[in-house]
Amino acid sequence: MTVPHRPSSAATPAVRLEDLPFAPAPVEELLRVFGKAVRARQLYLPNNPVYRSALDSVRAAFAPIWRETDDLALTFTETDVRWFGHVALSEPTKAADSLPWTFFKDGVRELRVARGFEDQELVKLLDILQRVRKAAPEEDDLLTMLWEADFANLRYRYVDLGTESVAPLDGVAADVQPAAPGEVAQAVREVSEASRSGVVNMQDFDATLHFLDESELGYLRREIEREYASDLRQNVLAILLDIFESQEAPHVREEITEIIETMMLLMLASGELRGVAFLLSEVQAAVTRGANVTAQQRERLGELPDRLSAPEPLGQLLQSLDESADLPPQAALSAMITELRPAALETLFGWIGRLRNPAVRTLVEGAAERLAAGNLQELARLVQANESTVALEAMRRCGAMKTTAAVPAIARVLADGATPMRQAAVHALTAIGTPGAMQALERTIDDADRDVRMAAVRTLGASKHRGVFARLEQAVKGRKLRDADLTEKMAFFEAYGAMCGDGGIAYLDSLLNGKGMFGKRQDPELRACAAMALGRIDGKKAQAALQQSAGEKDIVVRNAVSRAMRGGGE
Amino acid sequence: MTAPRAAKRLTLTMTSPAGEGAGDSFVRQKGRAFIFALYGALRAVKLYPVGNDLVQRALEDLTAVAREILASEHELELRVSGEFIFVNGTRLRLDLDNYASFSHVLSVFRANGIGVLGATEAVATRDWQMLLAVTQTGGGSAPEDRFHAVLDKLEAGGVSTLTLAEPGEESGEEREAAKERAKRTYAQSVAVTKDLMTSVRLGRSPNVKRIKRVVQGIVDQILNEETSMVGLTTIRDYDEYTFTHSVNVCIFSVALGKRLGLSKLQLYDLGMAALFHDIGKSRVPLVVLNKSGGLTDEEWRTIAAHPWLGVLALFQIRGSQEFPYRSMVVAVEHHMKADLTGYPKPVRPRLLSVFSKIVAVADGFDAATSRRAYQTVPYSPAEVMKELRDNPRRGMDPVVVKAFINLTGIYPIGTVVVLDTFELGIVHAVNPLSEMLARPVVRVISDAQGNMVRPGTLVDLADRAPNGEFHRTIIKTENPDRYGIRVSDYFT
Repeated sequence: MTVPHRPSSAATPAVRLEDLPFAPAPVEELLRVFGKAVRARQLYLPNNPVYRSALDSVRAAFAPIWRETDDLALTFTETDVRWFGHVALSEPTKAADSLPWTFFKDGVRELRVARGFEDQELVKLLDILQRVRKAAPEEDDLLTMLWEADFANLRYRYVDLGTESVAPLDGVAADVQPAAPGEVAQAVREVSEASRSGVVNMQDFDATLHFLDESELGYLRREIEREYASDLRQNVLAILLDIFESQEAPHVREEITEIIETMMLLMLASGELRGVAFLLSEVQAAVTRGANVTAQQRERLGELPDRLSAPEPLGQLLQSLDESADLPPQAALSAMITELRPAALETLFGWIGRLRNPAVRTLVEGAAERLAAGNLQELARLVQANESTVALEAMRRCGAMKTTAAVPAIARVLADGATPMRQAAVHALTAIGTPGAMQALERTIDDADRDVRMAAVRTLGASKHRGVFARLEQAVKGRKLRDADLTEKMAFFEAYGAMCGDGGIAYLDSLLNGKGMFGKRQDPELRACAAMALGRIDGKKAQAALQQSAGEKDIVVRNAVSRAMRGGGE
Repeated sequence: MTAPRAAKRLTLTMTSPAGEGAGDSFVRQKGRAFIFALYGALRAVKLYPVGNDLVQRALEDLTAVAREILASEHELELRVSGEFIFVNGTRLRLDLDNYASFSHVLSVFRANGIGVLGATEAVATRDWQMLLAVTQTGGGSAPEDRFHAVLDKLEAGGVSTLTLAEPGEESGEEREAAKERAKRTYAQSVAVTKDLMTSVRLGRSPNVKRIKRVVQGIVDQILNEETSMVGLTTIRDYDEYTFTHSVNVCIFSVALGKRLGLSKLQLYDLGMAALFHDIGKSRVPLVVLNKSGGLTDEEWRTIAAHPWLGVLALFQIRGSQEFPYRSMVVAVEHHMKADLTGYPKPVRPRLLSVFSKIVAVADGFDAATSRRAYQTVPYSPAEVMKELRDNPRRGMDPVVVKAFINLTGIYPIGTVVVLDTFELGIVHAVNPLSEMLARPVVRVISDAQGNMVRPGTLVDLADRAPNGEFHRTIIKTENPDRYGIRVSDYFT
């Protein structure tokens, strides 16, 4: 980094200090703090206290100058900033961070700063210097940026390095021979005579005809607003697709396809998703309507949606959205995703869980839901996707959307999926809730995983699905369930109670109230389960069975009986 | 051929310390209100007797706004300079909302030779009434005479709260310097356009920075010295037609955009689009482009492809930034008509951009008034103007054409005219008096005997003799070739 320093007397041209309008110290100080502010702008964000302090210093440094003058003129050489010829800042290195060189290299030779510049425009200039230092050679230079900034209190003089060698206009080569005075006079008189007979249209002299009235001014105002509200990229895409359709020349179509591919990437990169959506929806029309579109042309342009739906490009898009601070509108994202091919669902489902930005996740979930709704076959296929996150998301959506077409696939997951998958499958089938879904759940009450079993049995019990009754009865009366924990036992018994009707009362009564061969009652947990099951059965018989144990001393049994008699569940 | 001048020139940007851009200050807001009030009062005084309630109310409004400014600023100075109005040194921006009021106030000031109007804090309704009344009775005398007449009447009426001054005289040196700047900008623009078209023809990437710079230069010139710049459009070099035409269309478009109240950056967008409008021609074979005889159907199709070829060509021009999408839209639309006939025929529905409509008018005007390979006898500017205005089959937007005529006058700059004094003239500038569109400022270039004079004398055709009759009146427009006149000689 070049460090600004006070100019040595040797470097100063022959300018006597007494010839200056006032002592140069305030100007030198201003340039010194300005240089610090430029560096602060490079290093810190605009709200950083160091940068704010640097700005305050520059503003303060203007004060003593404005006490002397209203207008500060600074000239630039390659290495110096001069004030009335006096070197007020010297930076001998012609480097990117040298203040004089930054101005000089782009042609700026003089800046005139007026009072008030420091209020609003100082920051604007610092921003420009930051941009110009980072700019690539082909990007806008300082002059262009200064022009666009349209400063009110900063004027500049420059040499135009690009065009200064252009020859001035001195008229074009003579190829017209002047007429002789006599010829001119004769022609004029001929014209005059002819014209006096009324050639002039008096209507043309009514100036009011050419003034715009209020409605015309309003029309122009609206037109200009429309010009700046319009989506230029989408407009140009429409133009390109029009050309593609109407021009059959292969090289033209190839050029357009290349341009469109580039534009799609740019739009993706800049988050212009509405434009991408438009493109995806229109390319098919273009290849369909265009005259004599070859198979190769159709393949290349028409398959843009397929290419964007592939995991890699779509994954990149989702990642960039997740990392972006500037999100596209929901409608734009939805519009684009809706135009994707069904194959995109797999990538979307895989990413939803990975997205860290909640807003993006909400956007993507909403968009994925719309795409899934239109592509149920693909959704069902994804239930058995290799990637578990995809399959889980697919099952979740199948449940939420009650996708009956997915039941067979979900049933297969129940048969051979890992535990979390089987759990998700039960939830999905539960949400789907159709007889087919319930049937798929029947075997699950024998699942190896307790949670899966319980979820299934609760669903089946709640739905009173008769198809599972035999299996359920077997479980309730079997020994295996006796070893389960109370919650699981209770779930099974309650499901049994929900379905068994009066036919099950005798067995449940015997469990609750019966005594064994040696007068010993059943295990209290089992009795409590029987009580809860009885509670699920309507009618006096079940109530009577419960009533017998109403005075039970065992607290577990007594509580269960009490709840069952009140008709309460767990 | 002239050798390039070796000395580097400094160009002063047109950003003004009193320009726009630093927010809407009190002065700017109240300045606009003052102009509106002045305009309302001027119209009221013109239309009704001074005792009329409407007149009195308008004068009271004017007094109130003036006092408001004076109370805050302790001064009120309205200064007109070129096409700008300054209040207390702050330039007020012309836009569609204040277009009519600015135009009227400017023309009244010019007609009366007033450059500066000042008011003191004691200014009263009666003072304004006196001033406005006397500015409307100027008769046919020259602005300088009218100025002194107005001063005398104010003094006689005992008005001491209002002060008037004549416009600041631009020195001959300044005028020449301004003209030189305009010429240099024009020459640079043509050179850059030539480089642009040639680069595209050769498949190279043109220098975008230079293109931007020349358009910025044109915008600056139009904002500050419109007449000089528009005058240079009379350079219609046959050999360099494609390049000068693009520059001319850029100049006309920017000047028209300025009239329509576009901001500086919007004018830049419009200028870029206008400069690029024919870039598709750089993809048309030169043998077709320069063919002087009739074109075969195939050749015509090739030429007619230039709008959409322009879109493809513009994808070659990017710099490192965005593609010039707005320019692409204008390139493809500039030969489409309002009803979407014309060429190319769009497949998808579209609404033409207002920039395309502006460029179409500028393009139509410059093309028809130029000599080209396939149009050896150009039409006169006035004929073209009437055609654009009156022939709906041209498909021009009538409001934009109307605004264009408002910009150029009925006799556009560069038109050769025959005067009723048997003199020949070249239209030099639109008359600053808005009601005198048909009476431009003319450079008289021959005497009644047919002797050509160079550079000739500028005369205002709105000037009248003491009996109220105009000194000179246009009786016809003429083809300069008939007299061996090269119009551009009088503008360079």
